[in-house]
Amino acid sequence: MPRWLRYAIVAGIAALTVVLMLAFRHDPLDIRTGTVGKPAAAFTADMLDGSGSLSLNSYAGQVVIVNFWASWCIPCKEENPALVRVWERYRTSDVILIGIVYQDSLDSARRYVRDNGVTWPTVTDEDGRIAFAFGVRGIPETYFIGTDGLIAGRHVGPIDEATLVNAIEALRPKAKR
Amino acid sequence: MTRERALILVALLAIVGAVAWSARPHETTAAERVDRITSELRCVTCQGLSVKDSPAASARQMRDIVVQRVAEGRTDDEIRDEFRASYGDWVLLSPPVASWTGLVWLVPLVALVAGLAVVFGRMRPPSPTVAAPSARELASLRERVAREEALDLPQTDGAR
Repeated sequence: MPRWLRYAIVAGIAALTVVLMLAFRHDPLDIRTGTVGKPAAAFTADMLDGSGSLSLNSYAGQVVIVNFWASWCIPCKEENPALVRVWERYRTSDVILIGIVYQDSLDSARRYVRDNGVTWPTVTDEDGRIAFAFGVRGIPETYFIGTDGLIAGRHVGPIDEATLVNAIEALRPKAKR
Repeated sequence: MTRERALILVALLAIVGAVAWSARPHETTAAERVDRITSELRCVTCQGLSVKDSPAASARQMRDIVVQRVAEGRTDDEIRDEFRASYGDWVLLSPPVASWTGLVWLVPLVALVAGLAVVFGRMRPPSPTVAAPSARELASLRERVAREEALDLPQTDGAR
């Protein structure tokens, strides 16, 4: 076997090892999407409680947390207490939390909202267009939108209070903290 | 020409004709375009299923988007780009060559080339690696041959 080929094989195995090491170090909750770092898709959707509609544009310049959930989703129920606490903390501030119902019946979603203390604005997405525009792959998923309107980050799976607060504080202008 | 040969010729002509007929250029319908595009898109909530093949609600919604975009007159590339904007290259079942995921195509080719290089390297006749004997060794060998001839001994391979 020529020497160059031996070197090439060794280099190939080394490269493969490095790729595998990097892949195993990758956070499984940090699934790449096409939307992070880009402007959040503007949407107008019906409120779950039937009180009209909500437009993302009306929160321009604010930190917006968008959370996709469904009543049938067990991890969504797990993360709900954290969302409740964070909403209580920020509801009078410049931070808005928006819930988006993902592939769920309206009756079930309304019952969930009533039974789990969900008081933040919640909208429906019956044709899945909002989830598609954000690049949702499964729920729960939470998106962090900065004051510049860009999606600054995304969390896949149930989120905890510390992660939420850290993400919000990182996006809030210092003057408003 | 025997009868069997005539039959084989007719069968071959029929096959070629059928292939040519099926491959003839024809106007692609909207439904065919939807099927083609959705078969190239990954169902985002499934394991390895295309949007076309998946019964999941999310796949149905993605299919509805493709149907709408085709009806709006968007090109296939524009529709694919819209899905890539939301989900990245991951959403394409066949990753594009001109991207980081294009390595998926490149690695097997590199492996193939390396394998062929090994095979051809082994098939090549080995180059003579034994150095020519020196004059002193030659003289010693000649002397040994002469000695063995004089004794009329059977020639050995020199291993003893």
